[in-house]
Amino acid sequence: MILKKSEEKALSGEYGEALQSAYRVLLAIARLTNAKRFVPIDWAHVSGVSYLTIGDYGLDFLRRISASKAKFKVFTTVNPCGMDIECWNELNIPSEYAEKQLKIISYYQKLGTANSFTCVPFQSYSVPNAGSHIAWAESSAAIFANSVLGLRTNRESAVSALAAALTGKTVYSDLHLDENRKPSIALKLSFEERESHPEKVRKRKFSGPLSFGLLGYYAGKHTNGVVEFRGMGSRQTIAEQKALCGALGTVGSTGMFTQGKTTGIEVLDFGNKEYEETLNEISDSETGELIVFGCPQMTIEELYELSKSLQGKKFQKKCVVFCSSKVYETASKRGYSSIIESAGATFVRDACADFTPLISSLNVDSVVTDSVKGAHYMKRVHGVKTALLDTKEIISGNT
Amino acid sequence: MPPEKSNSKTDIIEARCIVESAKKISGPVLFSSFPIAFLQGVDPEKGTVSDKKSDIYGEEFRGKILIFPNAIGSSVGAYVIYRMVKNRTAPLAMIARTADIITASGCALAGIPLYDVSEQYFYALEKFDKITIEGKTGIIRRFGSRNP
Repeated sequence: MILKKSEEKALSGEYGEALQSAYRVLLAIARLTNAKRFVPIDWAHVSGVSYLTIGDYGLDFLRRISASKAKFKVFTTVNPCGMDIECWNELNIPSEYAEKQLKIISYYQKLGTANSFTCVPFQSYSVPNAGSHIAWAESSAAIFANSVLGLRTNRESAVSALAAALTGKTVYSDLHLDENRKPSIALKLSFEERESHPEKVRKRKFSGPLSFGLLGYYAGKHTNGVVEFRGMGSRQTIAEQKALCGALGTVGSTGMFTQGKTTGIEVLDFGNKEYEETLNEISDSETGELIVFGCPQMTIEELYELSKSLQGKKFQKKCVVFCSSKVYETASKRGYSSIIESAGATFVRDACADFTPLISSLNVDSVVTDSVKGAHYMKRVHGVKTALLDTKEIISGNT
Repeated sequence: MPPEKSNSKTDIIEARCIVESAKKISGPVLFSSFPIAFLQGVDPEKGTVSDKKSDIYGEEFRGKILIFPNAIGSSVGAYVIYRMVKNRTAPLAMIARTADIITASGCALAGIPLYDVSEQYFYALEKFDKITIEGKTGIIRRFGSRNP
């Protein structure tokens, strides 16, 4: 690894502690990935925003960094936090939590983040040309960037993405290089051939966030490296792509998927048996007291679909919908949010369903969701049982 | 990967250095056969694996050299590593079969030395009770006496 003079100086601490730490992190990753150089990036996306995840030590670290002269050198977005910043006090958020959360937000703002708290940053800002180098943490967004948007990023950590934001560079390795963007294992959807289980003869329609989430979860558990999907169909909705990426990033280390028919690689099957196994592993309740939509956060397309299916209906139980404030603004202008709110749902903006004190403070024992990623984390973080159901089933069964 | 050598008589393993240490590191081995999810799979207050299915569930990292295949899960895991250092519950060093971006960035920030080794030597390390690591080169030696 050959460093430029300015990079050597930064490493020695000449430009302050923040840049020194940032370059230390980049150098460790360069060693890890046998990189020869760094590459300038167009966009950094930093995770580690909810106080529930980074806690006091993350908070202290960010305070130290933001109190220095350091600033983000490139366009930088950050992940959702743990509450709706504007109306947290209406939503049962403990004030000690809110106080610390607001501090974290102020540190990121001081460093120069774009005013968004979202895990779907590609929804709110214009995406650079395919092939552009970026550095995104938040596994679901990174996988989405590589696989759907044709951008190039490794699955950055909260810290490595922060280092990238502060330096405007990332390590030129792994998924930044063509040769590493080829699949090494394939997963074949094979529902037709798996009808040998008579108890499961009901032919499954493979569509919607739940199906794609289960596929992603299974793929994440059983594969490493770039994974190729076969038989998924040529077009998926953004909701399906997002669910796939979210679940794929929840377990395992894969940073990208492709679709195709590469020869000479191992092929695993994903059929009814694998589908049911994965579903039963995560879903441990028939129903739930609270409906949660938006893990990863809802896109404008999903809010449109939700508003269509909720027209004239009322939820029979509490429902919370997570999206960014930017997407909410668009949904308000187009009239989607008012329909959803009239059906009795509550929007929580700029927050993450998995890492918010909201779910715990609502005192529920079980949650219904169509998100595999959400079910995985809510179970662990909030200690609730989760019922995983198809989006349409959730609406038809609870309105 | 640089070439790695092992000599079964003297039990020397050459690991790759990801985050170096200025000093030599000596300590008992804590070997996990399972990948570690730092976020939600590790309790940074105690410095232990909190997943009951783990073979090192509940065993303290503190004062030991943590050896594990790789990290899994959320990228926020890097702050958990940093958090353990602040809590004084962190291991002396980490050796991974495959060091990853979460572990590397967390260790770089927290100042925990990190190395990785090839598969063959990874499983050889399971049989070591105590080891020393040359901080900059990553040369690992069996430490103290242990009857064969």
